[in-house]
Amino acid sequence: MKKIYFIVLTLLIGLYIINDVRRNRFSIKESIYWIFGVGIMLFLAVFPQCIDGIATFLGISYPPSLLFVICIIFLILINFRNSKKIVILQEEVIELEQNITILKGNKK
Amino acid sequence: MGEDKVLIVVPAYNEQDNILKVIKEIKEDLPDYFNLMVINDCSTDKTKEILEKNKIPHLNNIFNMKYAMSVQTGIKYANINNYDFVILMDADGQHIAKEALKLYQQIKKSHEDIIIGSRYLKDFGYPCPKLRRLGTKIFEILINLLCHQKIVDPLSGFQCINKKVIQEYAKKNGYPEYPDANLIISMLFKGFKIKEIPVKMRIRETGISMHAGIKEPLKYMINMIYTILVIVIQNIGKKKINYLK
Repeated sequence: MKKIYFIVLTLLIGLYIINDVRRNRFSIKESIYWIFGVGIMLFLAVFPQCIDGIATFLGISYPPSLLFVICIIFLILINFRNSKKIVILQEEVIELEQNITILKGNKK
Repeated sequence: MGEDKVLIVVPAYNEQDNILKVIKEIKEDLPDYFNLMVINDCSTDKTKEILEKNKIPHLNNIFNMKYAMSVQTGIKYANINNYDFVILMDADGQHIAKEALKLYQQIKKSHEDIIIGSRYLKDFGYPCPKLRRLGTKIFEILINLLCHQKIVDPLSGFQCINKKVIQEYAKKNGYPEYPDANLIISMLFKGFKIKEIPVKMRIRETGISMHAGIKEPLKYMINMIYTILVIVIQNIGKKKINYLK
């Protein structure tokens, strides 16, 4: 029963992302990473026993902590990627602003 | 000497009390072929109105870009309009127009790329907060260690640069957010020649300095040392080539 609960939760998250993509509120390119994450979540929700398997393989005594580690790494990577993108955007905004300012000044 | 195109870039943010005095001085004390461009960094006071009323050439930033990016806007303007030299001056009245002529004459005379107007090179009795002096000293030592050159006042925004440097600064990301010791070090690493000459400076009359408070200088210090570290890492391989020259 618990299994169904997690499967439904994961599917809802997936639907939420896909719905945003469908309505053009989120880019297709960006959504791929999140859908990929949802896919992993769904897989683990259906086959929770793999976590135990992987944990024993890696020598982790408490299997749920493996789940946290995977999640945290995933989030850190996405966050760092976002941070990089923000920097690129900032630089582009500065470039645009300066060019517009100069163009406006030259026009006068 | 008259055929050079020289642009004086004056970035201004909320300088309604000082700007006119500064510009009057520039017009009176400097030759006519020195063009002026004020970069109004989205001032919230009457700076823009004053500039418009007095028909002073100026560019208006669309949003507040902070000091360094305003300076870069001016440099890019100079680059697009093919200027030979740019003199950077502050709008708060600290920099004296007559001294700008000295910078220009020096850059014409010598083969240096950047001339910095230094307030500490010769003692003109410029009073300086102890903390700021300490910070300047630290950067002086750092530059000396890394580049074997003595730059006494790396925080000075009173500079004259030639065309080569204008082109370098006008590049995307060519001008950092805090353009002080880190910029000097990175320019020295790139093989540009920098020289300091002593100039007189005034003390700020009105308005608030960008380096006021305790939090900001601290943030600045940490930021600067980190930036210098990164520049050194970037240049570990290249540095040797410069020494060989």
